[in-house]
Amino acid sequence: MPDKVRFIIERQDGPNEKPYNQEFDVDYRPGLNVVAALMEIQKNPVTVDGKRVPPVTWECNCLEKVCGACMMVINGRARQACCALVDEIKKPIHLQPARTFPVIRDLLIDRSVMFESLKKIQGWVELDGSWDVKDAPIQNPYTAQTAYEISHCMTCGCCLEACPNVGPQSDFIGPAPTVQAYLFNLHPLGKFDAPKRLNALMEKGGITSCGNSQNCVEVCPKSIKLTTYLAQLNRDVNKQALKNMFNF
Amino acid sequence: MFHTTFYLRRLHSLCGLLILGFFILEHIGTNSMALAGPVFFNGVMGMVEEIPKPIFYSIEIGMYAIPFLFHGLYGIYIALQANNNPLRFGYLRNWNFTLQRWTAWFLVVFLIWHVGYLRIYLKGVLGNPISFELLQNMFSNPIVAILYVLGMWAAIFHFCNGITTFCMTWGITKGPRSQNVISLISMGLCAALCLATVAFMSSYYIY
Repeated sequence: MPDKVRFIIERQDGPNEKPYNQEFDVDYRPGLNVVAALMEIQKNPVTVDGKRVPPVTWECNCLEKVCGACMMVINGRARQACCALVDEIKKPIHLQPARTFPVIRDLLIDRSVMFESLKKIQGWVELDGSWDVKDAPIQNPYTAQTAYEISHCMTCGCCLEACPNVGPQSDFIGPAPTVQAYLFNLHPLGKFDAPKRLNALMEKGGITSCGNSQNCVEVCPKSIKLTTYLAQLNRDVNKQALKNMFNF
Repeated sequence: MFHTTFYLRRLHSLCGLLILGFFILEHIGTNSMALAGPVFFNGVMGMVEEIPKPIFYSIEIGMYAIPFLFHGLYGIYIALQANNNPLRFGYLRNWNFTLQRWTAWFLVVFLIWHVGYLRIYLKGVLGNPISFELLQNMFSNPIVAILYVLGMWAAIFHFCNGITTFCMTWGITKGPRSQNVISLISMGLCAALCLATVAFMSSYYIY
């Protein structure tokens, strides 16, 4: 293993500025990951040409693949920087912002569009009070495992970055917010609003914009079976459409 | 409120698989008659001509022209919403997704040429009946023959991959295993129909 690791970082000074590349060398140490390397660059932001530059901006928080904040494009693939181990990826390491989202600066992106989408599909449960533990409605034990799996979604945006149908050319809300509708439809109280969520998914930019490229399930860092739940939701919206037609 | 997008998308899907899917199978079937030689092929063409004109034209317009135009025009709108990325994410299904759109673009151009020249110009304007000899003459130009084989292959792939995605879109196949089974079956069908195309196209060089 060489004692230096080369990083080629696609930088951008502001939302409407032109992107450019800069190269940095970081001292190798066992177990080094991309976030730790970015921290080293932040401490001493000197390029390989010896030029001192403004430190690279990025976002991170939990450092254990739970919060989703450090999602970026590493060697062409959307993934979490905190669990991208330098030992396991091809060098030199290319870092780019996930351009499906608006870039604020360098590797920092604005992912608020996903939260707007969660509002559209009603990604919450309406409460009408509270219970003592023994009286509360219970989770269906047969679907609890599925609900637990989908609840791992950390809105990191890997699936949106990989999806060919998400981007400025399309209004698709993307796999993550779509599949959250299924999570809340499984909830013992949330299920009362299932028709609302399914009707929201039938709107423009909803589930019908899915083109079945299935990139989402390949890149999901939490291994959520997104395509399975998208197919389930397709089934559910078709049933909802029939209900709408014949209840009209 | 009325979910226009939803119904248009589902109509696009139904129209593609059922109507255009039936049409492409019928088309391959009819064209395969060329394997039995010019006399048999021209006999089949003559039988098609005997369908009373009002019925024939209603079928052509209602069953073929309108669904083709709808599927094609709305399909262009759908294809424009994709930013194909198979080089970044080279998974099999993503390649199929991209090929579904590339074959669609090729088919738009091919079908304008194919329908415009054969059906509208030669048969409609000049009044020439479609015969084995006419097609043989046309395919004597190898470039035309190759473009026609590519056109058929594109249409066959688009249809067969469409079977797989239809099953996902309608929630028929939910899990990855059932999706893979349908995908294998439809790609098998794709290979068989592509070979059938080569077979009936070669008959114009044999007879």
